[in-house]
Amino acid sequence: MTTDTTADPAASGAEPLLDIHDLTIGLRGRDGLGYDIVRDVNMRLYPNEILAVVGESGCGKSLTALSVLALHASPPLHIVGGSITYGGRDLTKLSHSQMRSIRGAEIAMVFQDPMSALDPMFTCGTLLTSAVKAHQKVSNDVAEKLALEALADAGIEDPKRRFHEYPFQLSGGVSQRVMIALALVNDPKIIIADEPTTALDVTVQAQILDRLKALRNERGMSLMLITHNLGVVASVADRMAVMYAGEVVESGTVESVLAHPQHPYTNGLLGAVPRLNSDVSELVPIMGRVPQPNELPAGCAFADRCSRVTDACLTTRPALEHLGRTEVRCFNPVS
Amino acid sequence: MKTVVKTTLLTLLLLLASSLAVFAAIRLSGGDVTAARLPASATAADRDAFRAEMGLDQPILRQYVTYLGDLVRGDLGNSLTNNAEISSLAVDKIKNSLVLGFMAIVLVFGIGVPLGMLASLKRNSWLDTGITSMSVAGMAVPNFWLALILIYIFSTWLGWLPSAGQGGFKYLILPAFVLAAEGIALTVRMTRSAMLDNLSQDFVRTLRAAGISERRIYLKHVLRNSLLPIISLAGLRVGQIVGYALVVETIFGWPGVGQILVNGVLRRDYPVVQFFSLLLVIVVTLGNLAASVGYTLANPRLRK
Repeated sequence: MTTDTTADPAASGAEPLLDIHDLTIGLRGRDGLGYDIVRDVNMRLYPNEILAVVGESGCGKSLTALSVLALHASPPLHIVGGSITYGGRDLTKLSHSQMRSIRGAEIAMVFQDPMSALDPMFTCGTLLTSAVKAHQKVSNDVAEKLALEALADAGIEDPKRRFHEYPFQLSGGVSQRVMIALALVNDPKIIIADEPTTALDVTVQAQILDRLKALRNERGMSLMLITHNLGVVASVADRMAVMYAGEVVESGTVESVLAHPQHPYTNGLLGAVPRLNSDVSELVPIMGRVPQPNELPAGCAFADRCSRVTDACLTTRPALEHLGRTEVRCFNPVS
Repeated sequence: MKTVVKTTLLTLLLLLASSLAVFAAIRLSGGDVTAARLPASATAADRDAFRAEMGLDQPILRQYVTYLGDLVRGDLGNSLTNNAEISSLAVDKIKNSLVLGFMAIVLVFGIGVPLGMLASLKRNSWLDTGITSMSVAGMAVPNFWLALILIYIFSTWLGWLPSAGQGGFKYLILPAFVLAAEGIALTVRMTRSAMLDNLSQDFVRTLRAAGISERRIYLKHVLRNSLLPIISLAGLRVGQIVGYALVVETIFGWPGVGQILVNGVLRRDYPVVQFFSLLLVIVVTLGNLAASVGYTLANPRLRK
């Protein structure tokens, strides 16, 4: 495995900054009945790394990300099992005010569709300075200075002008930079970016991703990047976790997962990506469809679409197990 | 600037049209002032003589032109029933009505907005159900009926408030509340739904993720966004209050424009009806104008 040259913090035994352990999030009615949307999710984010979480729409990647800051719609969604450890504390056990002091200050979020994610009634400057003042007891001047710095750090050309502008006066790319500035302004350790470039033009996408990558290096932050774009994963991330139907099916360094996918789903996903430098004229689709959370099979969630399915797959749910340098939830991994 | 000129011209046109409408409507309603002014024993000749004296025998178009000419010169004319100059009659009545109407507007927004916010904050609780049910009742109950019920409870039964007339603040409470009731109910519902709508917007999640407190998100961001639709319909609330004032002032014996206008209509006192109707049109127009100016000021998308 010659491609895997970067140091893998997971292998070197470093302490994760954020440790999502066996996280299960369920949809529950008033009667307490319902089903689980996200099941036994394990993810670790190490200092100064970019972790990509990949999966199709509805696989639970955004929900997992939102639950870190308790931003999922609760009720009806509830964390019914597992833990999210940050700085020695389990974030799922925090009170409202404890969680508020984490949001933005320790862990910040960037959302998709920046045009609707910024309050239209206030200037960017007001939004940024109120975010500063939510966490720091500083004067207006200091708050404004921090806001302008954050705007500049987010790659905005003319921070002074944008400071006084309203969100509706901005383009999508500039709005997303303002949102990144809003995430940066209290100097968090982690930024969770939920499909930050989905709503943007391709050229702007590249600029935003470059900016996020540069910020990781400049500020020594960690980044959790939710995406469904494997190209984005390959170009910016250090490690990746692949999610399918509410579970992590495979995780490891980007090099190892992309070069040697172990889970048949990851393998199938890569087979469905068009490549310019290959002679293959036909893309191979994954047959069937993703099961709904209320119709999950007893065994492996991917079993009825899997070409490597065996009897064990239909009756027993595989656990996430180490296989070389990756972790795979599969009885019959590809290699 | 263009908007200002356009608005002014449109307003003048509206006033001209409504002056014609009022002028025609009161004459089309049949009967005339002689029934109220002359004794029942008056002969047809007496009545004709009286009409001639008051200029009512002139062709209707000439009467309208005379009326308009007088109006432009600031001559409001005299009442047909008691010959009093309308301009001297008007000042006190207008003042009384403004006090009542202003109080009603204050109640509409002062009670409606906070109750709507409370209902949205405690949505699906018994408090929300209570407030929402009350507001449905407020819209369904006719205000003359509400007035009678409230007079029965607070004046006849409890004896806390006077049932009619004018005096201190005590006299203002019942009529102002009855006048405001439907507006309060509508404002409660609108505030509640606007708040809930904005609470589910993406920007609220962004603010939460930035660590901004729920109280601040609710009272500053969600409220500011929700005020837009409320302000934009404030003009309608003014119109509603002006319309209901006629009934409410009559029930509570409030010596305002509504009362004098109703009496004017009953007696076919043309100049009185014409002037006070036009006044109501002006008030409603100004109310709408104020609402649209307020909307522009409150909305950064229009302000910029």
